[in-house]
Amino acid sequence: MSVVARLDEARAARRQKALIAFNATTLRLGGKTIIENLDLEVRPGEFLCIVGASGCGKTTALRLAAGLYGPTSGAVTFDGEPITGPRREVAIVFQDYGKALLPWRTAAGNISLALEASRVPARERSSRIEALLRKVGLPGHADKYPTEMSGGMQQRLQIARCLAQEPTTLLMDEPFGALDAMTRQGLQDEVLSLTQTSQTTVIFVTHDLDEAIYLGDRIVGLLPHPGRIGIELAVDLPRPRDQLATREHPEFLRLRRQLFDFIKATEH
Amino acid sequence: MNRAAILWRVASILVAAGFIAAWQLIANLRLVSPVFLPGPDRAWAALVRGFSSGDLASKLIGTLEHMAYGWLAASIAGIALGALIGSSRMMRAYVAPSLEFLRPLPVSAIIPVAIAMLGLTQGMALFVIAFGAIWPIMLATIHGFAAVEPRLYEVARSLQMSRAAVIGRIALPSALPDILAGMRLSLTVALILSVVCEILAGLDGLGQWVLLSARAFRSADLFAGVILLGATGYLTSIAVSLVEQRLLAWQTAAR
Repeated sequence: MSVVARLDEARAARRQKALIAFNATTLRLGGKTIIENLDLEVRPGEFLCIVGASGCGKTTALRLAAGLYGPTSGAVTFDGEPITGPRREVAIVFQDYGKALLPWRTAAGNISLALEASRVPARERSSRIEALLRKVGLPGHADKYPTEMSGGMQQRLQIARCLAQEPTTLLMDEPFGALDAMTRQGLQDEVLSLTQTSQTTVIFVTHDLDEAIYLGDRIVGLLPHPGRIGIELAVDLPRPRDQLATREHPEFLRLRRQLFDFIKATEH
Repeated sequence: MNRAAILWRVASILVAAGFIAAWQLIANLRLVSPVFLPGPDRAWAALVRGFSSGDLASKLIGTLEHMAYGWLAASIAGIALGALIGSSRMMRAYVAPSLEFLRPLPVSAIIPVAIAMLGLTQGMALFVIAFGAIWPIMLATIHGFAAVEPRLYEVARSLQMSRAAVIGRIALPSALPDILAGMRLSLTVALILSVVCEILAGLDGLGQWVLLSARAFRSADLFAGVILLGATGYLTSIAVSLVEQRLLAWQTAAR
């Protein structure tokens, strides 16, 4: 299949109802245009990766989708409705897990925060917490404080807290940026298995091109100053992905080359 | 406790015992007239006598009451005001200069004002003690609330937590180490001001006991009161520290 044909197919698919859509979205903060005229649609169940040089507004785009920022002009919609603020079915995983977790609460207590916010009755919480900890590979760590856990474990805990919201959409802001390579690969596979089985829609921001290709169904590369779309690639790699086989796939290497050239051209 | 910690503890007790022995020696050699300086033996006897007659116990309770009411009032008001000011950048900008003027004001300077307005009453003592003790608590609370990790507020927003839940589950626990440190500091202030008020207003308490003993040249009784005041400060501070350690167990969990 040629690249053009594949992009055509991707566009056709996108004409189906988008879950999250940026329509000519512009955001100015403090007199600076961070994002200009962004048009982007995310389909239900899609795994979209956003890459770009630093300062291209990829994190800002994610915060717009999360409802933490409102656009200066244009619109950002969720399921056809304008996003006016955070909503329960959309969870955000921050990069700095150390700051996003409550240091005075144990692992169980941190997950409980999301359950308390959703008004889950107290007697149901402990069994849900236990199930969530098992889901992210932290069984038996319920009584540990975040400071007693490794970086990878803390990020798993933050993911568990987000899953406690029972989100249909997961927004991930460079979630594995601060982790070492081995931990990072393990977490990539876990995020894939957690989201693929439940058909969760994911927007995943990263500066790691390999990670974007490995995880995504589609990759959007942003150009900086102001942030706008520079490249859009469909990732036609078989699932389930495999850390060795996928990364050796000729298509993986071709996409990697293409993205690498794009990023290099934006950095001057 | 490990070996080294036990040795340090033993050494500190030996130093204290050394001071008491030196005091006894000075008294026995009559380097200072016994009218002004009793030995620890006489001070101890006065202490026992005071408690067995019941006088000293009621004075101690009086001081503890002044201290506790003033400190609790200061804590409640200080935490509430500190939270209000600390959680809003605008409030901090507006109120901070006024606080900077009031904070270094010696509390003893407002005692005449308080007496003029409230008279020589328990209410005056409560006001003065609370006014003095509120500063460490309020300033620590302002700092604690201002220093809450902004990321946690975003987590709260994305979880759609109510304002009350954000204060109760995020801001207050985050500021708690600062608040407790402030409360420990103002405990000492509350004790000092309790004694001052008792002396100035003649209210029932150890301050009054110490003053009357000194006027009557009952040096042993005077020293018994001073020892009791020292012990009060020491023990209440330990009690607050224990509560602090318990509430902030998470801070030491990693180490």
